[in-house]
Amino acid sequence: MHTNEHTQKAETFIVPIGPQHPALREPGHFEFTIEGEIVTAASVRLGYAHRGIEKGTESRNWVQNLYMLERICGICSHIHATAYCLGVEQLAGVEAPPRAQAIREMVAELERTHSHLLWLGEAAHEAGFETLFMYAWRDRETVMDILEALTGNRVNYSANLLGGVKYDVTGEQASKIEQGLDYLEERTRHYLDVVTSDPVFIQRTRGIGVMTAVQADRLGVVGPTARASGVVRDVRVEAPYAAYTAFPITPVLAQAGDLEARFVVRLRELFESYGVIRRILANLPPGELVLKRMPRRIKAGEAISRVEAPRGELFYFIRSNGSDTPDRVKVRTPTLCNMASVLTLTVGRHLADVPMILVGIDPCFSCNDRGLVLKRGADHEHWTWDRLRQIGLDYYAGERGSGGVGGTSISPAPLPPCPPALLTGMHV
Amino acid sequence: MKIVTMLKDVVRSLVKRPFTRPYPREKQPAPERLRGKLHYNPEKCTGCCLCSMECPANALELITLDKKEKRFVMRYHLDRCTYCAQCVQNCRFGCLEMSPAEWELAAASKEPFTIYYGNEEDVATVLAKHTGTDAEPPG
Repeated sequence: MHTNEHTQKAETFIVPIGPQHPALREPGHFEFTIEGEIVTAASVRLGYAHRGIEKGTESRNWVQNLYMLERICGICSHIHATAYCLGVEQLAGVEAPPRAQAIREMVAELERTHSHLLWLGEAAHEAGFETLFMYAWRDRETVMDILEALTGNRVNYSANLLGGVKYDVTGEQASKIEQGLDYLEERTRHYLDVVTSDPVFIQRTRGIGVMTAVQADRLGVVGPTARASGVVRDVRVEAPYAAYTAFPITPVLAQAGDLEARFVVRLRELFESYGVIRRILANLPPGELVLKRMPRRIKAGEAISRVEAPRGELFYFIRSNGSDTPDRVKVRTPTLCNMASVLTLTVGRHLADVPMILVGIDPCFSCNDRGLVLKRGADHEHWTWDRLRQIGLDYYAGERGSGGVGGTSISPAPLPPCPPALLTGMHV
Repeated sequence: MKIVTMLKDVVRSLVKRPFTRPYPREKQPAPERLRGKLHYNPEKCTGCCLCSMECPANALELITLDKKEKRFVMRYHLDRCTYCAQCVQNCRFGCLEMSPAEWELAAASKEPFTIYYGNEEDVATVLAKHTGTDAEPPG
């Protein structure tokens, strides 16, 4: 209805995309206002993959949460676990042994390798370059096999423990990793050459979605998206965690700020990762893998843990009340920070460039969907957990035919509108 | 500027065998550290329950029949297990291990997903007690 009115008045057309859409692998709703082929306005609505993980952490103990938080993202699972472990260790006033920290960093860099190669394939697929997609994913198997041999799983590695790591690196594994890295290095060099010299591909990337350093700063983008615009924003450098002080990395920057720069930054970052993995393998500190004693109850207090996920800064806020379960865990994933840039950069571009600009930030929708309660003083729209639960109970009681339990006015159908106070993500 | 940058890769692949493995006809050995089905050996168990207490998926239930006589039965829910190996880490007595060989665990019915470990006699006692009341969790 809204679309029709709008078309008649301003001769524009709104293209709704999602939440269920064959081109989107995860649910997200976008509305692009177009005039002809040119996008004139864009909006996004997130929150369709909200899983209630933050609330779930409050009913599980500190160890159980490690594995649940690891499952926030299927691609960067290790970095979530690392962020959580570092935060909890900070609260408990302990520190994992240096060998464990180095292994954490190594797995994180292997994970970055797998994530960036996956993204390369994904982005190539979006551009219609299926050959690059297939070959990038074929080569990604090398790093997946390394991760599987090292930790026992391809995706949710579960390499972390509170106070250390589970798995050591054996000499045989180290040489296998070296071999794998040699192959990947050669292939990455080839892909870097492809994305910077293939004339057809360059038409889809060069000069498209240009974000200046000032814009990047203003929009608060993070990770490779920011670094492709010349903004040095890398937690590994700004606030080194795990073993990044002993095994530092050099941030990779590009100045162009277009899609091509995002390809170049991510691919050149891979060389940094290969280099740091090799350095860790050569100089792995001796010692224990895990602390002898990790308390089951964590001292009351608050901790902030920041790490650099493959997509950018990952932020954890953890509050303990001294019991064996956390009082509050807040997670902010990099996609949320980068999403605003998509809305800005698509305006003025062709509709056909939209998928490429979106994929340029390497979005991960289900990672970033969190519940957000806005408290505005004596806000009548602030729904408490108990009230939400009651509404749920009443709703289903009504659906079964008993109806109107508890005297609320919520009818089974149509669904009650989502109160503005519960809107997740952003609505620009 | 090159014309078709990936032509070499494509041509080379024409004369190569497919990269994909012909599973299940040919099986690759799983890595040593692969976390497959959990195995429990009650011999050394003291019944401390650290394994079940910190299981993130509530996949383990340690049923104590007689703590003095060390009669324990482990009810293991294969379908709930997330294969994180936290229980293996927690067990100080080495009663638990995950088998890297047993990872093809799909089944057409629900029954094979609940596994009882322990002495035959003890398992029979537990099964007799739970017949009909062995309620599966919702969902």
